[in-house]
Amino acid sequence: MTTESQFETVDMMLNMGPQHPATHGVFRMVLKVDGEKVIDVIPHIGYLHRGTERLAEVETYGQVITLFDRVDYIANLNNELAFVRAGEQIMEVEAPERAQYIRVILAELNRVASHLLFIGTYAIDLGAMTPVMYGFRERERIQNLFEHVTGARMMHNYMRIGGVKADVPDDFVPWVRQLIGEVRKGVEECDKLLSTNEVFLGRTRGVGVIDGPTAISCGLTGPSLRGSGVAYDVRKDDPYEIYPYLNYKVPVGENGDCWDRYYLRMLECYESLSMIEQCLDQFPEGPIMAAGRRIARPPAGEVFSHSENPRGDLGVYLVSDGTDKPYRVKIRPPSFCNLVGLATMTRGSYIADAVAILGSLDIVLGEVDR
Amino acid sequence: MTEQDPKAAAEAPKEAAAPAEKPARHGPPIVIAEEVLNERGEQTAAQLASTLGTLVLDSAGREDNPWVRVDAKELHAAAKKCRDGEIGMDMLNLMLAVDWVDRIQMIYVLYSTTNNRKVILKADLPAESPAIDSLTDLWEAATWYERETHDLFGVDFPGNSDMSPLLLYEGFEGHPGLKSYPLNDYEEW
Repeated sequence: MTTESQFETVDMMLNMGPQHPATHGVFRMVLKVDGEKVIDVIPHIGYLHRGTERLAEVETYGQVITLFDRVDYIANLNNELAFVRAGEQIMEVEAPERAQYIRVILAELNRVASHLLFIGTYAIDLGAMTPVMYGFRERERIQNLFEHVTGARMMHNYMRIGGVKADVPDDFVPWVRQLIGEVRKGVEECDKLLSTNEVFLGRTRGVGVIDGPTAISCGLTGPSLRGSGVAYDVRKDDPYEIYPYLNYKVPVGENGDCWDRYYLRMLECYESLSMIEQCLDQFPEGPIMAAGRRIARPPAGEVFSHSENPRGDLGVYLVSDGTDKPYRVKIRPPSFCNLVGLATMTRGSYIADAVAILGSLDIVLGEVDR
Repeated sequence: MTEQDPKAAAEAPKEAAAPAEKPARHGPPIVIAEEVLNERGEQTAAQLASTLGTLVLDSAGREDNPWVRVDAKELHAAAKKCRDGEIGMDMLNLMLAVDWVDRIQMIYVLYSTTNNRKVILKADLPAESPAIDSLTDLWEAATWYERETHDLFGVDFPGNSDMSPLLLYEGFEGHPGLKSYPLNDYEEW
């Protein structure tokens, strides 16, 4: 008789990615495995590094907005919002109220669209093929509205420092109201289909647990942090735009596992839809752009502003030297910081769970690598 | 400049009596932003000043983001005080380097999730062989930020055990974040 301890065992290195469907882009993780158990994870990023921050130094402030569209290509409008808010701070202008309402409506719609994409692809990661159909159907409706308002399905370039490019079309309010009804139904369908599914629960409950203090130390933000029971949401804690006028809750999880991170996003969809309804009720008339010069030269100085992206706290640190181009633009990429926690979450789990854990972080590689 | 105000042209020679210095750049004059803290920022700044005490070299801030400049050697101590002190800055929100050509400035944005305040720590490093103590023992978030800063700006972080390239590929030469790095004409890979 021989027991396991008498065998000589070797830890194996297993390469996952960069061309692996479950990595949502070009992300590579090297798993150190002992049989089926993951002992350590070494993430490798940088395959999509385009030098956005350096490029921004040779563009005028208005042109940088287009770069921000491409940083996180799932939530373009949220990213534009982050940059134009930093730009407004450094230029010392404030967008008119109507423009702020338009931005918040679009940003929240984009948050729902991003979460729907997450729900669909996360289900695929775990072997459920149907939810992605529902998720994409609803996301497509939102993209159609974006196309109607901004002229582009994805790379909108719609927000400006001091307002928005153009006023919304006349049928905007009824269109959005109808859209909210349809999307809410779609989200409910996804919710019923997936959230309490026995197999789904088995794959996500108690998997990839991270506790609050560790999550904060790793710099996790957004649903990934709130899943661990830390109620940190920039919209509530450091309010910007017109968020203080809206009535909404920030869902917080308690276990810090994959299911909590997933379900928070589902709940956030409902909250966002109700926020948009409130915005439409309060939607004011008025100008959409603050007075200002097209090629503006802000005073030399530094600002830091952050806002809540679907993936977390998206910060922009802007350094101006008084010319028409920023001296330094630094993005705080939420997915990048969330990935720091990946190794902590994955250690000790199975290889199959590594996919579930990575998926639950909802990374966008464009933003991780910039 | 084809159109010139005749008055300004008449006044110009008087000023030019002193040895004329060549203007460094053309275009409108640079305006420097006024750094004014709001009420919330003042409170945080006072708390921060009492936490750091004599470590502070310089301080100011805008809106609700007060900043302090500390000596590069003292940065780790200052960050530790911010984390463990009453001010409770438990999250390293952002870390970046700014290349001012004659020096490299490290900027750390710390955030407190308990009382929702942020403070900014700054430290100046020499442009040649910049190095600053790693903060990986205080925040795990620093690991990747430091690797990224090492890639793009060539800043060394003694104390960070893994300094392999993060965003750039193995064997990349130069530091593309620096102002001296060419934006085109580099070797295509």
